[in-house]
Order: sequence, then structure tokens, then C-alpha cells
Amino acid sequence: MENISRRELLKRTAMMAAGGALFLNRPINTWAMESEAASKVVLIRNQKLYAGGDTPDPAVCEQMIDEAVCRLTGLDTPKDAWASIIKPTDIVGIKTNQWNGLPTPSCVNDTLKARVLGVGVTEDKVSVDDRGVKRNPVFQQATALINTRPMRTHAWSGVGTLLKNYIMFAEKPSDYHEDSCAVLGSLQELPIVKGKTRLHLLVMFTPQFHHVAPSKFAEEYSWKYGGLLVGFDPVAVDSVGLRIIEAKRREYFNEDRPLNPPAKHIAVADTRYHLGTSDPSKIELIKLGWDENSYV
Amino acid sequence: MCRVWIYVFVVCYLYMPTWVCAQKFDVMKLLPEKFDNYQVSNWLDYEGEALFDYINGGAELYLSYGLVGMTGCKYNGDGLPQVTVEIYEMTSPANAFGVYTQSRDKEEYEYGQGSLSGSDFLLFWKDKYYVIITAGKVLPESGKAIRRIASLIDKAIPEKSRIPAIVDALPKENLVPGGYLYFHHYIWLNAYLFIANYNLVNISDKTDAVLAKYGDADNRCYLLMVDYTDTTAAITAWKQLKKEFAPDATGERPKLRLEDGTWFTTWMLGKRLCAIFDAKSINQIDNLYNLIITSKY
Repeated sequence: MENISRRELLKRTAMMAAGGALFLNRPINTWAMESEAASKVVLIRNQKLYAGGDTPDPAVCEQMIDEAVCRLTGLDTPKDAWASIIKPTDIVGIKTNQWNGLPTPSCVNDTLKARVLGVGVTEDKVSVDDRGVKRNPVFQQATALINTRPMRTHAWSGVGTLLKNYIMFAEKPSDYHEDSCAVLGSLQELPIVKGKTRLHLLVMFTPQFHHVAPSKFAEEYSWKYGGLLVGFDPVAVDSVGLRIIEAKRREYFNEDRPLNPPAKHIAVADTRYHLGTSDPSKIELIKLGWDENSYV
Repeated sequence: MCRVWIYVFVVCYLYMPTWVCAQKFDVMKLLPEKFDNYQVSNWLDYEGEALFDYINGGAELYLSYGLVGMTGCKYNGDGLPQVTVEIYEMTSPANAFGVYTQSRDKEEYEYGQGSLSGSDFLLFWKDKYYVIITAGKVLPESGKAIRRIASLIDKAIPEKSRIPAIVDALPKENLVPGGYLYFHHYIWLNAYLFIANYNLVNISDKTDAVLAKYGDADNRCYLLMVDYTDTTAAITAWKQLKKEFAPDATGERPKLRLEDGTWFTTWMLGKRLCAIFDAKSINQIDNLYNLIITSKY
């Protein structure tokens, strides 16, 4: 990744003509300028997800996951869609996130497990885990991984992302903290995960767009977005999630309020580790369902 | 002579655990075992990188400011929302203040030397301590309990400290309330606007830096000031900044309009580097410049 200053970026932006100021306020573009391939990301939202109160409706949650996976795979039924992702002979680890303030909702974990079982994987060959993945026999022997977590702002990496979700596979997670976690993409090279991830689901049910203390979920800085981002490219999915967070921050604070620190690791996963694309112009975003205030 | 050294070693060895306990006790005694209808249910105690066990990567925020340790506890009461207190002991009051500037976006002075409160949290800094109090649920009782324990801890911290001198040097005119950040890790250079994706001005734990917002949202500019240990270090950083932003400009305070129409300037004041970014007019940078050079700090 090359060193870039504001002035250098302005010069390049000027050459690209329009949109200079907006461009500057998107750190993700600042860090990534070399991506090539297009990636498909499905954003599905449902206003009824929280119709019953503060807990997501499991039936709506299931429907959202199924619809998104069908659209992503281009197949008509959830059964076919899941069969194209997971084989009956697979050993499947579902990497979730248990951060007590904003964990992956149980309806997401339950639906994913049910769909894996529905493909024909036996109960003993599927596991949902977070902090115990390194000791978990299913994850140790896994042939397939599904990666899911909610998005939230983070005091050191800018945002908690799908890329960051694999830090629990590291022998020493703090080894990946340098330079505001810029190297998180290298986690994908760990033997326990390399080449195994079949699907990424970034939960945007109630994302947290700002925080005041690293240890605390900031309820007043989260909102019922009722969304789910699904894709095969974690960099693309994370970068769409980031755009939603940034847009919400602009709206809430009524000014550009960059993430502090910027979510450098998403773009570095693109430019240095070539795990996918972070460039919005190279992401095919498919929007399904509720569109009001979708921010993207 | 050898006996003397053995004696010194034995004495140090015997007293070291007591000294360590005394250090811990100093922070723990800020926390009452009971208040109102609450009682401590469990204690929290983390030193340095052990804080990763508690808040994972979020610990880096505190480590970037020089963390000694975090001591805290959880309070429970019958039918009451749980209240968690975290007291971060930093290596200096300046660092406690720095962490505080990372969290607050408005100025409140109800507790300690600066505070911020919400429906289910309250944080403040005082002396070398940064205190976070949170409630498990947003209820009327939560706010009352949070304020009560905040008041007790505030009173138990005997000393107040001065804020870093570089912060005093910020002109108050048009300064956005709560809109400045004190730091000495380059990660925070881009906190308000993108300046560079690398350590362009050699910020380190030996430098004091402040980044501040001036003007309303439509007329916003940003002031960066960095104090170095010596003039040579300051000149080196200034040259790097000038080379990157104003390579063709001459003089000790180049002013130039950038490609997006905003104005930029940078200059040196002894061991201090100053720069203004994103100004909307040449008058804006001149006004701010004049306020800084006439400041007594």
C-alpha cells in the first residue's frame, strides 16, 4: 500500500474531475485505489423485523437470509441455493460473534445452522462458535466456514467487520492490532481458515455507528436498520456496510464525521491481500426489500 | 560489599509485593464496596495488555495513551440495573485527558475535570484517571445510580491536574466546543479529516499533538499543532509536511489554495509545528494564524 497524503489525493481527485470533496471524506477510498474484479453483494432489509419489539422476529430473519442467499446464488429455492454453497459431506464451522453488547442475533445463528443441516450435514459436523473456535473440534477439522457478525464502530479498527471476525482464529489476536488493525486481511492466510469460507453475512439489524467507550454497546448510537448484507467477497460486503455506517454518521452529526480511526483494514484487505474489492464502483449491489433510508 | 547487595535484594524482594498491592489499593480505594442499595458483585483488574482479555482490540485505545491498568467493579442491587465502573489509570494526567478527548464531543464539567453523560453511561477524567460508568439497562434508576457513584469516585480522587500546555495554546475563538483531540499516536492524525495514511509529521510518544475544529459545519477548518522535543525534530517534520502539501512554495509560511478550493498553510513556532487544513478562505487561515502567534502559550 502506497503512502498517500491529502494533497496527493486531491491532485488525483482533481484529475478524476467531479466529487472531490465527497471522495476525501471516504477513507475507504483513500486506502484503496487498485481493485479490479466486480463483486456481488446483496442488501436485504425488512421493516417487519422488529415489528414485535426489540427482538428480531425469527420468521422474518429466516426469510431474509433465504431470499438473500437465493439472489446471491441466482437459484430459485433456498434448498438449491444452500446446496450450491455447502456439501452434505462438509464439516461446517459457523463463525459468529458473541460480544455481549451486540452479538450475532440467535435467529441468524439458528437459521444458518438449520440450513446447513438441511443440506444433509450431520449434527455432529456443524458448530456455531466464536471465542472457542481454536479449541473446537468441528472448526479444527472444518472443510467449510460461514462468517457472520453485526457491524459496529470500533475504537481501534474503525469498525468491527467480517474481516475482523476471524481474529479469534489467531494464536495471539493482539499481533493483528498494529496500525489500527490494518493487517486483519492476513488472517485469511491462517491454515485453519484459508480457502474455507463459503459465505459472509454482515448483520445490519441494529448497527452501532458511534461509541463512547470500547467496552460498552452504545444503544443511543445504534438504530433499527433491519438489514443484512450477504456475499462471497468479505471486503465488498464490509465496504458496503461501512458506507452505511458513514452515511448514518453524516446524517446524525449533521457534518462529515470520519470514523476515528479510519477502517483502514478493509481497503488493505483489497490492495495488499487481494481478498476482494473495496471500491464501490466495482461492487454490484443488489437491494431487496425495504428501501427507505437505506443510505446506499 | 556482597552482603550489602544481598541485603538490598532481600529487602526489595520482600517489600515488592507490598508495594504492588499498595499501588492497586490506591485505585481500588476509589471504589466503595457499597453505595445506596448497591453492592460490589465482582472486581475487575487488568494491567497493560491483559486488558485485551476484557475489551479485545478496544484496549489499544488506552494502550496508545500509556495505560498502567484498569481497575473496576460491577455493582448489583435487588431489582436494580447492574452498574459497571472502569477506572483506567494512565501514565500521566495528560494521557487521561487525551483518552477523554477521544470520547467526548461536547464539553461538560459536572464531574472530574471534564465529563460526558448519556442515558446509560457517564465518563469523566480527573488527574491520571479516566473513569467510565455504565448501566446494564436504560432505566430512571440507572441514571441516578450512575451519577451517585460518579460523585463518590470524583470526591475520592484528591488531585486535579493541568491540561497539557499545547491545549492551552488553542485559540478559543470559533473553536468548536469539545472539538479538539489531544494525542501522541499517529493513528489519531486522521480523526477529523484525512491528512495522510502514514505518519507524515513523525508523531510519537515523545510528541504532544492536538487537532482542533474551528468554525461551523459549513465554514469548518482544522488546526494541527505538534510539539517536538527539539527544534531539529520539528523542522524535519515541518519539511516533510511542506514537501507533501506545498512542495513548490517558498517562505516560512506558505499559503496556498488546494485543488478542492480550500486553503492550507503551515509554519513553525520554535519546537511547535502548526498547520491549518481545509480553510474556506485566505482570511480564515490568516485570522487563525494571528490568534495563534499572539497567544501567550
